[in-house]
Amino acid sequence: MPCERKPMRYGHSEGHTEVCFDDSGNFIVTCGNDGDVRIWETLDDEDPRFITVGEKAYSLTLKKGKLVTASSNNTVQIHTFPGGEPDGILTRFTTHATHVTFNSSGSKVAAGSSDFLVKVVEVSDSSQQKTLRGHEGPVLSVTFDPNGDFLASASCDGSVIVWNIEEQAQMIRWPLLQKTNDFSNAKSLCRLAWQPRTAKLLAVPVFTKVYLYERGSWDHVSTLSDDLMTEPINVAAWSPCGNFLAAATVGGFITVWDIESKLCLERQKHEKGFTVCSLAWHPSGTQIAYTDIEGCLGLLDGFSASISKITMPKVNAEKAERCYEDLFEDVDDPVTDEGWDDDNSPTKKAISGVNENEYEDDSFVKPANGWAKNRGAILDDENSLDSGSQMLDQHNFGDNDPDSAVVTTSPLPATLRPVYEVPQKTAPQKAFQPGSTPIHLTHRFMMWNSVGTVRGYSDEQDNAIDVEFHDSAVHHTMHLTNLLGHTMTDVSVEAVVLACPSTDELASKIHCLHFSSWDTNKEWMIDLPNGEDARALCLGRGWAALATSTLMVRLFTIGGVQKEIFSLPGAVVCMAGHGEQLLIVYHRGKGFDGEQALGVQLLQLGRKWRQIISGEPLPISYKSYLCWLGFTDEGTPCYVDSEGVVRMLNRSLGFTWTPICNTREACKSKSDHYWVVGVHENPQQLRCIPCKGSRYPPTLPRPAVAILPFKLPFCQTTTEKGHLEEQFWRSVLFHNHYSFLSSCGYEIDEVGQSQSEKEHQEVLMKMFALSCKMEREFRCVELAELMTQNVVSLAIQYASRSRHMALAQRLSEIALEKASQIYSEQEEETEHSDIRRTLSGYDQIEHKENYHHRQTLEDKPDQEFEKDEDQEEMASQDGLEAPKSSKGGRSNPFKVLSLGKSSPVSCQLRMGNILDKMTSSRKSAPLSASVRKSNKSPIFKPLPTQAKTKAQSTLLQMTDKKAVIKKARENNEARDDQSKQADLSSALSQTEKSETKRSKTGFEVWLEENRKRITMDHPDLDEMDIIREAMGLFRNLSEDERLVWTEQAKGPAGDVKDLKKRKRTEADRDEENEIGQAEVDENNAKKKKAVDPSKLSKFAFQKN
Amino acid sequence: MDPSEVEFLAEKELVKIVPNFNLDKLYLIGGDLGPFNAGLPLDVPVWLALNLKQRQKCRIVPPDWMDVEKLEEIRELERKAAAFTPVPSPYYMELTKLLLNHASDNIPKADEIRTLVKDIWDTRIAKLRLSADSFVSQQEAHAKLDNLTLMEINTIRGFLLGSLNCMYKLRSNLQPGSSKGQYGDF
Repeated sequence: MPCERKPMRYGHSEGHTEVCFDDSGNFIVTCGNDGDVRIWETLDDEDPRFITVGEKAYSLTLKKGKLVTASSNNTVQIHTFPGGEPDGILTRFTTHATHVTFNSSGSKVAAGSSDFLVKVVEVSDSSQQKTLRGHEGPVLSVTFDPNGDFLASASCDGSVIVWNIEEQAQMIRWPLLQKTNDFSNAKSLCRLAWQPRTAKLLAVPVFTKVYLYERGSWDHVSTLSDDLMTEPINVAAWSPCGNFLAAATVGGFITVWDIESKLCLERQKHEKGFTVCSLAWHPSGTQIAYTDIEGCLGLLDGFSASISKITMPKVNAEKAERCYEDLFEDVDDPVTDEGWDDDNSPTKKAISGVNENEYEDDSFVKPANGWAKNRGAILDDENSLDSGSQMLDQHNFGDNDPDSAVVTTSPLPATLRPVYEVPQKTAPQKAFQPGSTPIHLTHRFMMWNSVGTVRGYSDEQDNAIDVEFHDSAVHHTMHLTNLLGHTMTDVSVEAVVLACPSTDELASKIHCLHFSSWDTNKEWMIDLPNGEDARALCLGRGWAALATSTLMVRLFTIGGVQKEIFSLPGAVVCMAGHGEQLLIVYHRGKGFDGEQALGVQLLQLGRKWRQIISGEPLPISYKSYLCWLGFTDEGTPCYVDSEGVVRMLNRSLGFTWTPICNTREACKSKSDHYWVVGVHENPQQLRCIPCKGSRYPPTLPRPAVAILPFKLPFCQTTTEKGHLEEQFWRSVLFHNHYSFLSSCGYEIDEVGQSQSEKEHQEVLMKMFALSCKMEREFRCVELAELMTQNVVSLAIQYASRSRHMALAQRLSEIALEKASQIYSEQEEETEHSDIRRTLSGYDQIEHKENYHHRQTLEDKPDQEFEKDEDQEEMASQDGLEAPKSSKGGRSNPFKVLSLGKSSPVSCQLRMGNILDKMTSSRKSAPLSASVRKSNKSPIFKPLPTQAKTKAQSTLLQMTDKKAVIKKARENNEARDDQSKQADLSSALSQTEKSETKRSKTGFEVWLEENRKRITMDHPDLDEMDIIREAMGLFRNLSEDERLVWTEQAKGPAGDVKDLKKRKRTEADRDEENEIGQAEVDENNAKKKKAVDPSKLSKFAFQKN
Repeated sequence: MDPSEVEFLAEKELVKIVPNFNLDKLYLIGGDLGPFNAGLPLDVPVWLALNLKQRQKCRIVPPDWMDVEKLEEIRELERKAAAFTPVPSPYYMELTKLLLNHASDNIPKADEIRTLVKDIWDTRIAKLRLSADSFVSQQEAHAKLDNLTLMEINTIRGFLLGSLNCMYKLRSNLQPGSSKGQYGDF
């Protein structure tokens, strides 16, 4: 019984519709939400007649030239048919009727209504009414017993009642259905059907099955079901002969059962899977008309053959067997037929059609839509092959693979219809220009990028292009008439380039308005060879690239010289250019199940051609397509997919792509989108246009650009840890462009770079502090490994201050490692000693001041002190670290400065100090603390005055040590020695604990002597740090030396020889300083330039 | 206070513009402005916006409330309510005037907006006069008016205070004590 499914016709507006045939079967009559009753001569009826019956028509029934409809004015009215003349009102309800039906003779009409009543009215005399009361909810459907005694009705209260019409009494009541509160909310319409002719059976659709009840006994005699019907059955309808029952589900399945064999004879699927809300058999039993809730009318044709065989009344088993045979014959055919037919079945066409439409569609529904369900089908089908029962997907039922034909010849054709789904090919995404709205719009953005916007108008009166530049300094607005029908364009600060596809007469062209040209010819145009169409184009600096339909990329200079051509591995999707980089995305292959298979190429043009990314797959979100492709303003490739995920190339991570933002997260509603127009790394901005309820912005009113922040999809970013981690990796990622730009030979913003470097060290430090707080020492060490060397030293300080000595220990090892690394790097650079000299002078400038300042202080100590200082110096040169620290102190600046760091020397020296400190702390711990217990505070007495000057000059540089600075600042402001002492001593006592105390007096003396040297080496340290450094150094001295110092402090003794020495070194130092001074002066000028604005700016905006 | 002075104050309000030039941050006494990125909206004071607009350096984005539908709503509300309703901006009149006079090309339906704002203004001023009238006629000692804008207060201040002053003088002249004195003069 292969029946043919005719394509759907649009009949009514959306909403509930009903259908019936007239008695002769010549007309299909439908009614719908628009209040019209349409009379179709055939399904192909171009212009069906219609009768307007009210604002809405809920139900209709037709018999003997009378058309009864339930309309929205709460009446049930009669119209003549086919004339369409109003013929009076049959009955009224307090609310609208939901279902009307004639009895078999056409003398009575039953109507069920939302006011819980069922009325039975004589057609000839509407005063003859019988009202059946008993439902406790809106009545869903009513059906007459063909013999006229009974009436069955279903209601929203969940009950199905059989009434005796005469007595107006309930015969029986079954609570079968799900309760709902309204007709419109009911899951199923539960259209009951009474078997015609014999009137033996009443069919009640109950969820996914149809129950059959026997007249008289009202027993549940059998159930009709189908494994494929997984959704509630909406409608049931008997064939006129009474041997077949058709039922349609909410999911759009229509199934026909043979009532004797209880076998499923026919299955059809609504072409779009909409809910079928009405079924009607043709009086001949050869056709079934159905309508859906979208207002469409469909027809299943061709039941004739089998029905003619089976409709012959037969009860005995023998005939039943024949039935079976017929059945198999029938089923064999349809399956094979279907298998082949369905390849070009409407369903399939519809889906692919829909997809294509969607691409061009204004609203741009993701193409994945149609396929998402298919995917489910495949999975389910695999199950169904195993279990032989389940097949959930209604959508693709019918899209059978030819393979299935083989399987379905098995003896259980109706129940087992295993389907193997081949993955569906995804329609490959069409080529597009990133930053443009779809071509089919009459007013569209042809390009919106960081340079300007190009708007295209193509309505009847006007076919024009407007080029507008964000920065009017680039060029004034241009207005072009679009005679050639350009569809693609790109705009840069040098030129506007346009391209049009070929037409019948004209070849595809590339047209360039080179407005920055200095000669008088500001325009050129090149025709492409025949049969070659422009697909995508982009502009870089000094070049334009055009990808064509022949899988070729053509490069042009901006002046119109043809340059390189090369082939692409697949059809181009889009291209983007920036500087000398060209980024191409193309179809790598066929995608399946909604996926696009995209590949990406990143080329470095210019003198030295390089393919940086050679055709690797482009990772996009699951079942999405590419929406935007481009570069950040800093030149890092970026793209956006239809799921709103923005990804950026991570050059430092082996050219992988990192998701940096999900624009959908910022959307308020589901249908809102952000249309990305640009990405900036510094400052971190994602420029996009918020589009309410669409994917694309309209050209008018002019859309405003909004800025979205970036957010890497890290876990648990609501916690502080996650937040910091996200911040860290984001700052690392967005730092990459500096190294790229410098490698390309561009000038880079060194201030910005060091700023960002500082920023991520700062974040690291915060993370470190956090995990320190949470006692996660292992994690601390892991973090320390990410830090730069001088931040590690800070970390060590932090750790020791917060009493994590074991941690500090480990950190010192890391510091050592890092230091040796830096040291080894430095060794390589020692040849550039002269340069180094100049640069070390750079630091000396500050010390000069300090030096003078110190003089006064230095006058105080006795000669003995000086002697000891010399000793110390000598000793320190003996020590392992000494050469490193002193030498490193000078040599380091070159290296670090070249990286643009602000505190070049300190890092190296500090490194040495930390080591010193740690080793000495280990060594000297056992030594008793008792000796220097007293006198602790006096040591620091002379410091505050110096601290002030020092701290102020270093404030700006010390941003990464906020806590320390704060303290220093406090101290400055307080100018109170006492408090200062307390602060410092407490800080120190924490840090150094008992070891510190030991060095009291000796240390003080030593410090007096060595302060100068330390400040010189650490220009950026404030007072506290200097002391700390000093302590480290001091502790590094051998025990004997320290003893000497302490003794000195206690009671000085003179030594002439040492005095001499001291003098000599003094002289040396002066000399050194003088040399330094000369060189420093020019450096200083430079430095001032760099520093001054920031200082000024700080002043200026504090007011704000 | 002069209306021009009120307008001057209103010029401090921020308004969104889309510049068509690139410029670094401007460091001004009142705070820093910018950086200006061509094509990227940013908030600047009205005085700067107008200045830039006059030099055709920017496009002004009208404030949210400067929208026909919203203003119609406000107008209806104002007409229905007996008391003053809150206005969308404390300088709605001044801003409307300034922006519409200088940047009407950037504001969709400028004429309608002008009429609507004028309507709102008229309604409010009428209310203000009415309440002043009842204040005077009932010889109240004090009155409280909420949601008045500076410009509105200013329009009525001069006249109301002057007339109250005059009335005070007239009344005090009627008092018996003073009249005695007057008689005495005679």
